[in-house]
Amino acid sequence: MRLQKLIWVLWPSFIAAGAAEALFFTVFDPEELPFFGTIVGASRIATYSVGFFLFWAFAAFSSSLTCFFQRGSDEINRCPLPPTARPLGCPKRSDENASCR
Amino acid sequence: MDTPVKSNNGATLPETAEQTLYEVRKKIYPRAVRGKFAAWRWTFVLLTQLVFYGAPWLSWNDRQAVLFDLVSRKFYIFGLVFWPQDIVYLTVLLIICAYSLFLFTAVAGRLWCGFACPQTVYTEVFMWIERRIEGDRPARMKLDRQPLSPRKFGLKAAKHGVWIALALWTGFTFVGYFTPIHVLWREVMTLHTGSWETFWVLFYGFATYGNAGWMREQVCKYMCPYARFQSVMFDPDTLIITYDPDRGEPRGSRGRSVDYKAKGLGDCVDCGICVQACPTGLDIRNGLQYECIGCAACIDGCNQVMDKMGYPQGLIRYSTEKAMQGHYSAERIVKRVFRPRVLVYTAILWLIIVVSAVTLYERVPLKVDVIRDRGNVMHGSDDPEVQNVYRLQIMNTQEVARDVRISVAGVDGIKLEAEAQPIRVPATSSRVVAVRVEAPRASLKDRSNRIHFTVEAADPSHPGTAPLTVVEKAALVIP
Ligand code: SF4
Ligand code: SF4
Repeated sequence: MRLQKLIWVLWPSFIAAGAAEALFFTVFDPEELPFFGTIVGASRIATYSVGFFLFWAFAAFSSSLTCFFQRGSDEINRCPLPPTARPLGCPKRSDENASCR
Repeated sequence: MDTPVKSNNGATLPETAEQTLYEVRKKIYPRAVRGKFAAWRWTFVLLTQLVFYGAPWLSWNDRQAVLFDLVSRKFYIFGLVFWPQDIVYLTVLLIICAYSLFLFTAVAGRLWCGFACPQTVYTEVFMWIERRIEGDRPARMKLDRQPLSPRKFGLKAAKHGVWIALALWTGFTFVGYFTPIHVLWREVMTLHTGSWETFWVLFYGFATYGNAGWMREQVCKYMCPYARFQSVMFDPDTLIITYDPDRGEPRGSRGRSVDYKAKGLGDCVDCGICVQACPTGLDIRNGLQYECIGCAACIDGCNQVMDKMGYPQGLIRYSTEKAMQGHYSAERIVKRVFRPRVLVYTAILWLIIVVSAVTLYERVPLKVDVIRDRGNVMHGSDDPEVQNVYRLQIMNTQEVARDVRISVAGVDGIKLEAEAQPIRVPATSSRVVAVRVEAPRASLKDRSNRIHFTVEAADPSHPGTAPLTVVEKAALVIP
């Protein structure tokens, strides 16, 4: 489940970053981009690459927020411990979907 | 794990089911099949890969024929040179691709997925390597059940070794589309590749290895956007891969010589070959499912069985929803391919292709942008002459040098002052030329007056040919 969520976050943001990268750098030449008043000194390839990872990071941030807000109430309320790890005597030891209420 | 794992269709899988990248996934061991569609797929694999691996090595005009040169911000495709300003052509290309996909999907479902998609193509190649080294389905399953032994280790190491080598070559080729491949090759040979180039070779190589070696059908099932929306482009006349239940049911095993019709059996011998051949592990006999990538491996597999049994081929075949219901003949199915929807799609597609080809052919390989230098107007308000300064960006988009002459008109007595003309603009490059324009105040009617620059660019290597001419408007402003 963890891994699945990771892919849900990383993969759509990768596609979005690709599109953003293509559009952005078609319009703006990295050698003419002002960076706090000066020109980015790095080579174009480096700027393109760093730009891509920045786009990816932003898109991934958005995707992870989506994932985060998407959780239903039972997912939030659910006991974080798997049934067998709950303390002996817990009345909900056998209930996989037990919530904390 | 103390409870048996549930698969997504509710069936309980045995404990050997592994938790892999996406969900509880039973490893799929596709069985190799031979037949018409397998041959078609291999044809496409070879064609697409010949183009992919070969194209960056071709030359044209003493440069790489196909090069998306990110460093100099120019895309070269044989005789054509594209500048960032030409992004409209990229957009048109994307529209054409999307439209073709719609068209093919409406006609015959997921043709793209089954035959041309890189995911399919690389998976096919990687599976071929796997088969060569580890053997076909039963041998692979047996090998995976065995405990680790020197032989198993050797086979696995060999497989992953070849996979990784191919993946790295793919990554190298990919980067070779964006940075000159001959230079890159020399850098690789002397171990002097730039750090970003190395990074992208490894990144793309790793993606190829992961997607074609490990993820396989999971990419199609969970990651591909097209797989999710392709069904909206289907209609009841779309050719899809279908099992013929009327002919096949009731299924059941039987001997070759048995008169199965007398026993009340259909043509399906329930051998399960169609399921074993399927790269996504589907049983097509349960009807069309979104996981089906339309690869037709089940058709080939079943046809092999039908041949062995001496039954006619085509228990699983390309057919349409309507054809199955109405028992259409083959001619009727073909006739339905040319239905209004398909004809309209085709017409629009051709229209876009022709219009864009004509505009591409007609485009003038000289672009001029005029910017008036606002800070540089003369301020003496009783001066009899008004002066404006402009910067002309002249882009020579072709691969020949040009000799450029600039003139100005639009107002009586207008004069132009610039560096010595003609101005040489080298091949595929741009130059900014500053010019000063002067006009008598008496001939200016408004505060802002329309003037135009004429830029003529001659080809010095062909003195006889007519120069390219571009006219750009500008405003002459009284300060
Ligand atoms: S059901 Fe048949 S066509 Fe569909 S993916 Fe499986 S083998 Fe390919
Ligand atoms: S391959 Fe053909 S005969 Fe064998 S189970 Fe599948 S549909 Fe039936």
